[in-house]
Amino acid sequence: MPTRSIKSIFFTRFHHRQGSRVLHQVPEGSITNSTAPAALDTPLFDFESVTQYLIPKQDFCDRLLTFCTNHHRVIGYPVCVREGKYYRNEFIFNFAVVVGEDMGDWVSYAEVVRKLGRLLRGLEEQGGFLSREEGGSLEDDGGGQGGGGLGLGMLNGNKAGSKVYALCEMVLEDLNNYAECMIPIDDSNTINLKLFPTHPPPPPIHPHHVPLLTISLSSLTSPISSDLTLTRILPFINGIHSVSHIAQLADTDVSLTRKAIQHLVYYGCLVLLDIFTFGAVYAPTAEMGWFVTDSSVQEECARYVAVPQLRFGREGGGSASTNMVGGGGGGESSEKKSRDERSSVSSEASQRSDISSTTNATLNLTTPTSSGLNDPTDSFSASSSSSARPKVDPETLITLYVSLRQGLTLKNWVLENLSLLHGIDIRRFITFGIIKGILYRVHKYAIATSTFTSPATRSPATNAASTIPPSIHRDSDQSTIRGHANARHLSHKASLASTVNIFATHESTSEVPFHGENDKPSGGLPLVKFLDGMHCFDEICTELGMGEQVVEKKVKGAGEVQIVHR
Amino acid sequence: MSLPLPPASNLHAVLLVTKSRSLGPRLVFHYPPLSPSAAALAANQATTWFGNQTSTGSIDSHSSSSDWDSGTENEGGEDDIETGSRTSGGRGSGRTGASHRDREKYRPGGAGAWGRQENMEDDDTELDDNGLDNRSKEENGDRKNKGGDYDWNTVLGFKVDALEKMLCPSHAFNKRRFELGVESIAFVGAPMFVRDDGFWKKKRRKKKGKATNLDLLEKLKIEEKEQIDTSDVKRSGSIAMEPFDYPQGFEPGYGHGLMSGAASGAASEAGSDTRSTSTTDNVDAPDMTMFNVVFVLNPPALEYQLRVQEMYDNVTRKFAKALKYEQARSQYIWKESKNIIDIKQRAKDNNESVSATWRKIINASPLAKSIAIMFDAISNDKIAHVHFDATFSTSFQIPQQDSIPYLPNALEPQMPGLWLTTSNVVIDDNNDAPMTQHAALLLLEDAETLVKELEGDAKGNATALAYYIRAIVPTKSLQKISVTHNILAQDMEYIARHLVYWRRARLIAPLHPRDTYIVSPNADMSALQIAIPSYATRFPTLPSLPKVLSMLSGTPRQFRYFIPTNEHREAYMEILAWLMRGGWVTQLRTFAWVHVSPEIKATVAQEMEHEALLKKAEDARREVSDNESLAGSLFSDKRSSFLSGGRPPTPLRRTGRRDIDDENMDASTILSPRTGPWRGSPARPSSDAGSTSSNRAMMPLSSTARPASPALSQTTSGLQQSKLHRPSPLHLKTTSPSRPPPPPSQKFSPTSPSVAPVPPSPPLPPQNFTASLVFAPQKANAVESRWLEKIGQSFEDQETRELWPVLLRHLDGKHALEDMGVREGLKRKRVAALFAAVREGGWLVVVRHW
Repeated sequence: MPTRSIKSIFFTRFHHRQGSRVLHQVPEGSITNSTAPAALDTPLFDFESVTQYLIPKQDFCDRLLTFCTNHHRVIGYPVCVREGKYYRNEFIFNFAVVVGEDMGDWVSYAEVVRKLGRLLRGLEEQGGFLSREEGGSLEDDGGGQGGGGLGLGMLNGNKAGSKVYALCEMVLEDLNNYAECMIPIDDSNTINLKLFPTHPPPPPIHPHHVPLLTISLSSLTSPISSDLTLTRILPFINGIHSVSHIAQLADTDVSLTRKAIQHLVYYGCLVLLDIFTFGAVYAPTAEMGWFVTDSSVQEECARYVAVPQLRFGREGGGSASTNMVGGGGGGESSEKKSRDERSSVSSEASQRSDISSTTNATLNLTTPTSSGLNDPTDSFSASSSSSARPKVDPETLITLYVSLRQGLTLKNWVLENLSLLHGIDIRRFITFGIIKGILYRVHKYAIATSTFTSPATRSPATNAASTIPPSIHRDSDQSTIRGHANARHLSHKASLASTVNIFATHESTSEVPFHGENDKPSGGLPLVKFLDGMHCFDEICTELGMGEQVVEKKVKGAGEVQIVHR
Repeated sequence: MSLPLPPASNLHAVLLVTKSRSLGPRLVFHYPPLSPSAAALAANQATTWFGNQTSTGSIDSHSSSSDWDSGTENEGGEDDIETGSRTSGGRGSGRTGASHRDREKYRPGGAGAWGRQENMEDDDTELDDNGLDNRSKEENGDRKNKGGDYDWNTVLGFKVDALEKMLCPSHAFNKRRFELGVESIAFVGAPMFVRDDGFWKKKRRKKKGKATNLDLLEKLKIEEKEQIDTSDVKRSGSIAMEPFDYPQGFEPGYGHGLMSGAASGAASEAGSDTRSTSTTDNVDAPDMTMFNVVFVLNPPALEYQLRVQEMYDNVTRKFAKALKYEQARSQYIWKESKNIIDIKQRAKDNNESVSATWRKIINASPLAKSIAIMFDAISNDKIAHVHFDATFSTSFQIPQQDSIPYLPNALEPQMPGLWLTTSNVVIDDNNDAPMTQHAALLLLEDAETLVKELEGDAKGNATALAYYIRAIVPTKSLQKISVTHNILAQDMEYIARHLVYWRRARLIAPLHPRDTYIVSPNADMSALQIAIPSYATRFPTLPSLPKVLSMLSGTPRQFRYFIPTNEHREAYMEILAWLMRGGWVTQLRTFAWVHVSPEIKATVAQEMEHEALLKKAEDARREVSDNESLAGSLFSDKRSSFLSGGRPPTPLRRTGRRDIDDENMDASTILSPRTGPWRGSPARPSSDAGSTSSNRAMMPLSSTARPASPALSQTTSGLQQSKLHRPSPLHLKTTSPSRPPPPPSQKFSPTSPSVAPVPPSPPLPPQNFTASLVFAPQKANAVESRWLEKIGQSFEDQETRELWPVLLRHLDGKHALEDMGVREGLKRKRVAALFAAVREGGWLVVVRHW
């Protein structure tokens, strides 16, 4: 929220004889010329030329009315109270706010103005909050003088006692300083205002998206929401599980899960990733140049992708330094934590992503610089074993990132770069790239080029797809999820430790058997709807609850199908 | 950086308001005839616009929605409304007890209203806004439940008289942006006031009209001239056009002949009599004092500023200016307005339906028609070709991006189908020549379609234009095309810009079989089902679209490998152009940085240290020689050898150096700016001194050793030297720990002449250095340029060495290597070979993206 962006707040009302009049303005002189000592020299804009928008015809009352003049945007909410007690039976006023014309999020101010307008209408209707105040001075005065100038003079004199003026002043100061305010009006009324930033509408969440929290929601003291789905799924959001997987694990409805995640996205606590597998293809985007040239990002990345277990093993195997490190560990871990929290979205998120391992790891994780600083004796070991890289070399990171390319699966990439991957968590390496936008996932699509294209054959097929599968879907989902969980777990752990021997294990083994039995009745039918090139393999796999290799096999069996990587 | 957003004008209506002495403020025309009410528009947006209302005050929002609903039911207090439409002031007498709610009655129900109102004309007799219905019922007594089509008194849900007052701002808004927001609806206008002297244009001296020699580009210029004039940016040279201010009656007939074919039939008569009357009308005090074309938008809250600005800058303001020009010329607006008002009044008296009347008006009035065209095109994010009258037509659009440099992630607004490339990113280097001449033009429609379109638009020069357009191929740069077809380069560029601006073409890197293309990650897969058949009709005998996409999906390869035979080459390039046009593929471009190895750094540091010492020595020697002249003879020998040592030392000299290297170890490492974490504080001050002096010392050296100069022997010696240095780390490792580090401060003190016999510096251990990248060779600092130079010297191949500085210019990670050939005038093969050679040596960090 930009500070001090409200230039002026003023209260104007239509007087039956004097026309539109500015009764109160903060700061003085910002709307009409004022004789007050601290008044502005020149008004922000010419009041006379815009009165028709401040006190409009009744058609335009009781709604937000904004206009731009002289590089200022005036946000008003003209209110017309019709009651017999007023002269001509109506009382029209406007409590308006002036901000800069090009302010991006002026809508949040508009909402405040709207609320204030409605509240003041209520107050006026209840007890004449606005009209009572001027009842003594203005009406008589106006009747006697006829001219605006003296009336204003009177008002200035009155100002100290004016509740409305005080209201203007407090709203301006509090909103500008604290973006919120609470103003007690009388025994039963209090004005509570707060500027809420406008967020863009959240994008649709698909079951194959992988959410990753960017702030540590678990550290909040109060529960973030009474939404049961949200509280249930939160523990499972870790940057590894897909939305449908989370729904399975938390035993929640998928669509509700998607909604809940959408809420998190709306408030900016979440980023969306793709499903990590070693069969996936990643390639650099145009942002790579930024990564290469910005050393702070490289450092962040190095922190994020470094494998903590590795240090642990090394120190354990090392000499007496272990004890020292352990001793200093307490302080350092907290330091490390706080740095992580400050450092970035991703590294904070990373802490959550593998709680079990990190909680252990952070205790033992020390950066050599800090240990070197902490006790001088340790510097010996640090310098002597300089080959034990505490942090991953930025150059290595760059080399690794740029060696990713279209058409190269992660598995093959790992095999190509095995020597460089020492001490790097591959999943985190990829995740970092995705979060920062320096990598993109090359998705795989299947396009049927024949056999299924005619609508006649398609409609039963889609029907079948929508009617038959649920039971199958559920079964296979259940079992796949288990399978998935296994595979993921395996691959994740493997990516931490030794990078070589996991490739054979991932997914396929655990999933092939049950598909064999499940898919016989439905045949290839559920697949058909996915073969129009609009569904990536992640989506197909999630929807069908099958492994990628199985899906690919089935897809290829389904007729003439082209696989496109995008 | 703000997110790029997909084009969306959010335009919902266009209104024309005039203010005249005889009629006062008047809403002359609005389009579409049956617009949704503003409240419906606002409600329709609830999700995005009022996204935070649930949190600001749920009670408020509740009460408002109930108002919203109850208002539609409200039947009471109608009396004043009929009178209200004429007697605007004296209203409200009958309205005593009514709450504010009945004023909301024109607000129809919630979000659903929008959809229903659109179909109002067809069958929607049970309108949700009964208020409207009632009013029309009362006024047109016999007509019941005919709904909005007979409602002459509201526009956008506002009463006309209130609205027209609101849209007639005070004179302070003359030529300013008029922006009025009612809830989330924005009324954007550019009010134009008559001048105090009663004219619409300042009288100027008659300008010599350009003779209407039908320049080949005339047609284009006419379309463009509005652009140029209104934006007040006069383009240089041939493009600049006459402004609109011809004195009355002296229009040079410019374009009359050109446009006659295109103008609507109805326009011609109106045009002719306006012309005859214009001179006389203008002199009298004008009746109309202001007009305001108002565009009604409902942009989402976060896009509000952007959308309003876009609309105002590109459409509202320009349209208003064009109208003002017409008004100044022939009282166009006022005549048309009177005409429209007449028709409306008659229809209203006869109880005709609004939509039927509107059809009549649009047929009768070119102004109304132009507003209708404007609305239809702009609200669909298309280009509006507006014919004001027989003689004047122009086009309006909100320009759209034709490419984005980065891929939107899942949380960002998606723009599928948009061309993904960095080739359009302007690199803010002053020395970058614009690439336009080297770019090729990719027509977004088939040349023949385009030519036909032009022929429909204009007569005379269409053939010439057609010639240009047919000459354009996406595989050749504009420069090449203009040479082969003997077209002026400026003309070519002008056409290119014009076509690009009007969304007919894109500037791309010329398609080439040796370039690499991948399936664009931003390709619009949902368009695939439509694209497949259209591709199939276009290329019936060639592999299908999915097949081609699949072919381009694998490991990126040069496009030529996909072309089966030479005969297929042309067809495949056409396929490629087709794919590019649809955003299906994008070129994979290569970017690189120079990777400086520790060895190079060590070598350079050593040299620099040597030079520094040399300089010190010379200083010292000079001092010494000043003091004691007899010592001069002693040093003269040394001195000459050191001077020659300004160049890279020869292997012979090196041998003698090694025995004394220990002493200089520290000083030399200090010289390097990127050494590892330092191990001692005392050296700090001297390091500063060292580096500055080394900079000074370096200057003469770099001039002699610049690779561009044909100092072959020198460079080869440098090469040999660096080769010899490679094994040195091994050697040094053993020696370095043993040596006691001497305090460097003493050593450099010029007062002690004992230092004067400068020992040649030792090779430095590369372990002290870390490899790094040079991000911008063009802006390299002194040390970096030394490294680069050193790398250049290390190439064995003569040609590579020569081209290294040329190549360097492109190794900043921002310039694609693919562009290098055309920029530097090198053959593609040569560039490829050069690049491969350098890459082979491990001097590059290469990344490939779009």
